[in-house]
Amino acid sequence: MDFMSNLALGFSVASTMENLAFCLIGALLGTLIGVLPGIGATATIAMLLPITFQLEPVSSLIMLAGIYYGAQYGGSTTAILINMPGESSSAVTAIDGYQMARQGRAGAALAVAAIGSFFAGTVATFLVAIFAPPLTTIALKFGSAEYFSLLVLGLIMSVALAHGSVLKALAMVVLGLLLGMVGNDVYEGTPRFTMGITAFADGLNFVALAVGVFGIAEILRNLENEHDRAVVTSHVGRLWPSRTDFRAMIAPILRGTGLGAVLGILPGGGAILASFASYTVEKRLSKNPKEFGHGAIAGVAGPESANNAGAQTSFIPLLTLGIPANPVMALMIGAMIIQGIVPGPNVAIEQPGLFWGVIASMWIGNLMLVILNLPLIGLWVKLLTVPYFILFPIIMAMCAIGVYSVNSNIYDLYAVAFFGLLGYVMGKLRFEPAPLLLGFVLGPLLEEHLRRAMILSRGDPMTFVTRPISLTLLVLACIVLVLVLVPAVRRNRAEVFTESEV
Amino acid sequence: MPTDPKIPAPPAADQTPPPPRSDKTDIVAGLLLMLTAGLFGWQTTGLNIGTTLRMGPGYFPAILSGLLFLLGLVIFVKSFRSTTEEPIGRIAWRGMLLILPAPVFFGLTVRGLGFVPSIFLATLIASMASMRMKPLMALVLSVIVTIFSALVFSYALGLPFRRFGPWLPF
Amino acid sequence: MAIRSLSGAFCAAIVLSSAAFAQGYPERQITMVVPFAAGGPTDTVARLVGEKMSTDLGRQIIIENVGGAGGTLGAARVAQADPDGYTLLLHHIGMATSASLYRSLPYDTLEAFEYVGLVTEVPMVMVARRDFEPADFPAFIAYVKENAGTVSMANAGIGAASHLCGMLFQSAIETQFVTVPYRGTGPAMTDLLGGQVDFMCDQTTNTSQQIRGGTVKAYAVTTPERLELFPDLPTVAEEGLPQMEVSIWHGIYAPKGTPEEVTERLSAALQVALADPGVARSMADLGTAPSPAEDATPAALKNQLETEIARWQPVIESAGVYAD
Repeated sequence: MDFMSNLALGFSVASTMENLAFCLIGALLGTLIGVLPGIGATATIAMLLPITFQLEPVSSLIMLAGIYYGAQYGGSTTAILINMPGESSSAVTAIDGYQMARQGRAGAALAVAAIGSFFAGTVATFLVAIFAPPLTTIALKFGSAEYFSLLVLGLIMSVALAHGSVLKALAMVVLGLLLGMVGNDVYEGTPRFTMGITAFADGLNFVALAVGVFGIAEILRNLENEHDRAVVTSHVGRLWPSRTDFRAMIAPILRGTGLGAVLGILPGGGAILASFASYTVEKRLSKNPKEFGHGAIAGVAGPESANNAGAQTSFIPLLTLGIPANPVMALMIGAMIIQGIVPGPNVAIEQPGLFWGVIASMWIGNLMLVILNLPLIGLWVKLLTVPYFILFPIIMAMCAIGVYSVNSNIYDLYAVAFFGLLGYVMGKLRFEPAPLLLGFVLGPLLEEHLRRAMILSRGDPMTFVTRPISLTLLVLACIVLVLVLVPAVRRNRAEVFTESEV
Repeated sequence: MPTDPKIPAPPAADQTPPPPRSDKTDIVAGLLLMLTAGLFGWQTTGLNIGTTLRMGPGYFPAILSGLLFLLGLVIFVKSFRSTTEEPIGRIAWRGMLLILPAPVFFGLTVRGLGFVPSIFLATLIASMASMRMKPLMALVLSVIVTIFSALVFSYALGLPFRRFGPWLPF
Repeated sequence: MAIRSLSGAFCAAIVLSSAAFAQGYPERQITMVVPFAAGGPTDTVARLVGEKMSTDLGRQIIIENVGGAGGTLGAARVAQADPDGYTLLLHHIGMATSASLYRSLPYDTLEAFEYVGLVTEVPMVMVARRDFEPADFPAFIAYVKENAGTVSMANAGIGAASHLCGMLFQSAIETQFVTVPYRGTGPAMTDLLGGQVDFMCDQTTNTSQQIRGGTVKAYAVTTPERLELFPDLPTVAEEGLPQMEVSIWHGIYAPKGTPEEVTERLSAALQVALADPGVARSMADLGTAPSPAEDATPAALKNQLETEIARWQPVIESAGVYAD
């Protein structure tokens, strides 16, 4: 088989001692910087990028791959330990991961995230190796009409993110969509909701929003009751998932991997949906969906796998077309160009050693991550025993640096404070932050694709139903809508009886 | 599953559904949503709505503001027939007064004072938010955080921060 | 002045002579602001050149990405910085076009900066989806004019290179057709590859690999001469549209009031960097070339900026697009 010899070539390039060492250093640095609160994958990679410039092209890209996975895992770690997601995907992990941590199961949550990521990464690496070219063809079939329908499907699914009132979750999604509109309109350049501040012309900074509504709001909540009790758990519990945990995570990991791998291929916003979609699926399929939002292991295992699989397959458009699917990929392209490799459809043919070396190093990067992080879990969990009044000033300092480092924009720091307040008030009013974040991420995409689809169809809304993929997605969306509404009604009645058993 | 006694039980339903009454949280929530929707809607009025072929920058925001207002209204109306009652609880005034200004302070001074003094003072401000923090402890902590950040971000990673800014005499 | 027109081997001599003027400069690391995100084409140019300039200056040039609002945020930052030679700006053609695209800029483009020199001029190519009917550029123009109601042209957002080229094209062929803006070149190129839009005009940085890979169809280049990379592609002037000539030129600026010795020293370092074979090779991979030494001078950049502001103002005003 052709791909076997290709993979063999890749591994022979990636597994020289030197390249292995760079991969390990990359993964380690990525984890160490990414684990600092408020510093997400994009910021981590931007910070570490210059280090790789001095290396040979292959080593440089391999180290970058290590940094990438390390940063991603670092982001999940902060999401679980202190409710501080650095990017949209780990926002989902924060929902149940943080609850697990509060119940003394931080070690289990971290282990599940690592194992799920590794499995998903392994599967997705093989998918990339075998199917990259045909998958690209599918991705190119997605025009704006298809993306719009996909996003509608995603939004409907998002209702499942809520574990409280569905109405309030919807309100948060809409508010998130509106916040996503802030900035200059892509089509006409008109500033919207920027209050005349040019620094917001390109929209609000995601990290500022996420850090504010999740992390800072949580710090404020923890400071509420300092008078009468110790803040947050100081008991750590067992480090390792129990056998029940292992059994509970297998199916979600498998499903998450599949979902993430499929969505990751779509460069117009598919990967963003992966972890949200996986969470929804797990919650729907779960025997006790009430557990979600209160520390369900499937709520960590599924989205983390989906996220990592999606991250992996989002390399496909990058490698086969030379087109970045997200800001992180854009950074990778910049690194490649500086190394004298212009990514494009020819890289695989012209530089097979490099192309397959990078693919092989993705898997090695994932492996390094597991090897590195399983032992580190003990250390991370110990961080929780640091008294909270010492921990949170450190968190605040790292947040400030992390948010500022992305674009040197001081307005992003003001946004952190504003969204911290907003998140706290929302919490008081029993609104949840996850749907808000999803709306915020999807809002600009939804509008952009809707408007573009209408321009391309010359104003004919039938474009959404006459294009087969779009129609299929819309039908799916209707089915999900029914599924979401029906059990909600049924469960409301059942709730009274089940609740006492929990 | 061992649950921590300090963790509040899942909200949701109590054993017996209490008689419907008004839920103050939801009244406030609904009103706030409607107010927010109003603000966004008001900001939308200056924007071009456009046509279906060329939707203007105001098209989407207008729909969303309307939707948000409706959702707020429904939450507001439903709040008078609620079955859950959860107190708002204590408010972290001291936290808000000291935590939220920390990043703002950092933003205001990082270019003027420079990275090192700015991160030191920001950490100091934030650490005062806890009643348990003693002044000396706060100082020590801020110094450690400052040294760590300067070493990692400025020296090791070479981020383009000016360590000491033009506001300082040296 | 005679010395400066000699390039290549004599660069070392220039460095020595100009070093004598700028006694002591630079004493610490220099920050070069790139008003776009890390990893983009402008950032890449800055990092390529900045590294070599650092070697010559003996002090590190670090890149600070201050993205946002079409590059005007980063430019404003440098306009307000101390004129001591330790804060520089690397910006492209947007420096000239934003003077007209933005009705309220926090700085006066012609008054707020000193000049160091031109860095590179990136050519642009008109490309179309692979199965787009017309066989050559004249046929392409005829087709677009005939089917103005159904064709669509992609661009990477207001003020982007592809948008500027699109405006020129529309005014050159005096035809209005639907333009489809995207958030950046990546998504625009994806839709072009997928056949969702018909054509686009973009920098070789973004198009050369796709053209070589045969995933898009190329019609013409916007430079006065044909490119070494694609000798078979005609220029727009050859095909009768000289008014469509455009390149994405990049220049390095310093805040107003920076001493002349300093800008001269920087310009000398820039010339050394541009003469470096490694830089030339990396730029060739991107389908561009370093500016010749006589263009990497303050006077040449000043002249370029003034000419380009005057050129774009009527184009942008007649198109009636504004970015604020």
